[in-house]
Amino acid sequence: MSNASQNVCNEVIVAGGDRKPFNIVAFLRNEYFLSCVSLLFFFSFWHWAASSHVLGHTSALATPMEVLSRLAELFTSTLAGLTMWGHIWASLKRVLIGFTLAALLGVPLGLVMALNPYVNAIVKPIIDIFKPMPPLAWISVAILWFGVQETPKIFIIVIGSFIPALLNSYNSVLLIEPELYDVVRVLGGKRWDEIRLVCIPASLPAISAGLQISMSSAWGCVLAAELVSSRSGLGYIIIQGMKVSDPAMVLGGMVVIAVIAWLISQTLEWADRKLCPWRRDIKSF
Amino acid sequence: MKDVSVNIHDANAPVKISCKDLTMTFVQKGTHVVPVLDNVSIDVHDQELLVVLGPGQCGKTTLLRMIAGLETPTNGTISLDGEEVTSPGPDRGLVFQSYMLFPWHTVEKNVSIGLEMKGLSHDDIQKTVSHYIQLVGLKGFEKYYPHQLSGGMKQRVGIARAFAMSPKVMLMDEPFGQLDAQTRLFMEQETERIWLQEKRTMVFVTNNIDEALLLGDRIVTMEGKLPGRVKSSYAVDLPRPRDPMSIGFLTLRQTITDEQELTL
Repeated sequence: MSNASQNVCNEVIVAGGDRKPFNIVAFLRNEYFLSCVSLLFFFSFWHWAASSHVLGHTSALATPMEVLSRLAELFTSTLAGLTMWGHIWASLKRVLIGFTLAALLGVPLGLVMALNPYVNAIVKPIIDIFKPMPPLAWISVAILWFGVQETPKIFIIVIGSFIPALLNSYNSVLLIEPELYDVVRVLGGKRWDEIRLVCIPASLPAISAGLQISMSSAWGCVLAAELVSSRSGLGYIIIQGMKVSDPAMVLGGMVVIAVIAWLISQTLEWADRKLCPWRRDIKSF
Repeated sequence: MKDVSVNIHDANAPVKISCKDLTMTFVQKGTHVVPVLDNVSIDVHDQELLVVLGPGQCGKTTLLRMIAGLETPTNGTISLDGEEVTSPGPDRGLVFQSYMLFPWHTVEKNVSIGLEMKGLSHDDIQKTVSHYIQLVGLKGFEKYYPHQLSGGMKQRVGIARAFAMSPKVMLMDEPFGQLDAQTRLFMEQETERIWLQEKRTMVFVTNNIDEALLLGDRIVTMEGKLPGRVKSSYAVDLPRPRDPMSIGFLTLRQTITDEQELTL
């Protein structure tokens, strides 16, 4: 396949190219290969650290194989009346409810604050007061107000994920190029057209990024809330592991959390690509 | 200041846009007063390509934005076809210096968005959009996003977008300022071709004298400092398409350059 070039409107598009022959140096420098090597080293190091007891007494750290076999046991038995899947769903349910509430509250409020200076003057000082407070500080208050059922946990999640969603949607409107509004006005649009045609599409990428931060914040909050007072969920599994000195269980819980969080963030990234197809590819961390 | 109402090109053409005694002052930070325009009066005739030529910071972009209705003059009036201009509207198309395309829409959608606001039928919009995309030479690129286009192509989308609204007047604000020299020359020739094909009254703002001579039926020069005032007006009576190497072109170029304080 040779290079074909096409002269279109004074622009030249070069199509195709030949495949390069195999080169060992290029192979060693390939990013995917290096990532695989890095992971291999990580697991080997973990196994060595666990089996050589470098961190103190014998049961401080479990080897990767021990974690995997403990996970297999957990998935085939029940703990506190629920299977592993039941626990996963318990945590996931809390995250999804809390995240959705936070998004539904935070995103529209951020947009309105950025567009209306009066709403901004009223709401912003209150947000500024609550912004630096860590969501975990609200745990005792939440338990006082709502008891120890589901409500305080969801309350904490909303507190934790509301602020990133609000701030991102607020800032996204402020970052819009002001001349874009001129374009809409010159084409005959009114204020509502400016919002519909410029504000909302222009803020989508930042809102989407804010929601991804919101989601990871939601995960952090749910685990903290479960660590304090819960009978179900992944945080509960970790606490049980700590209580019975079972490091494989603790690590197993952490691994499950990581996998689920990763799956959710991949889903959000996929949704982001579908919503905002005009964004250039940025390699996500 | 020379008499600016002399127009050799077509003295019989009716006046399309009339700017009388425009004065504009911006107030920054509450107290700092910046006079931008001082008693500017310009008439634009029907179907004429008027070029406003001046160096940077001379108020010509503000003048164009006032004609578009995006700014209101502190004093003076602007009228289009006898009616006073107070707000922006689709009867005056504006092409921006930094393209200002919507990055979340394809080329096709960028051109059609104004037509959708007008409320035309889907078929009419399709026909108009494909006509203008072909006119500016971007056939085949309808589904591309702006970030996939080069600067010249983006500006062509901007021109198609403005033309598609069938405005009475086309206003172009240094549209090729961000392009390299070769693309700029190509785009100037394209603009001339498009304008000859679909004749419309056009006001073109630039700081480049070659561009002014290549495009303009009449050139109005502005003074090189704030507040902006009109310096003089030149009729360009050269045959189209313009040849930048012809004697007439170069003679007029010399005349205009001599009159300016800075070499153009």
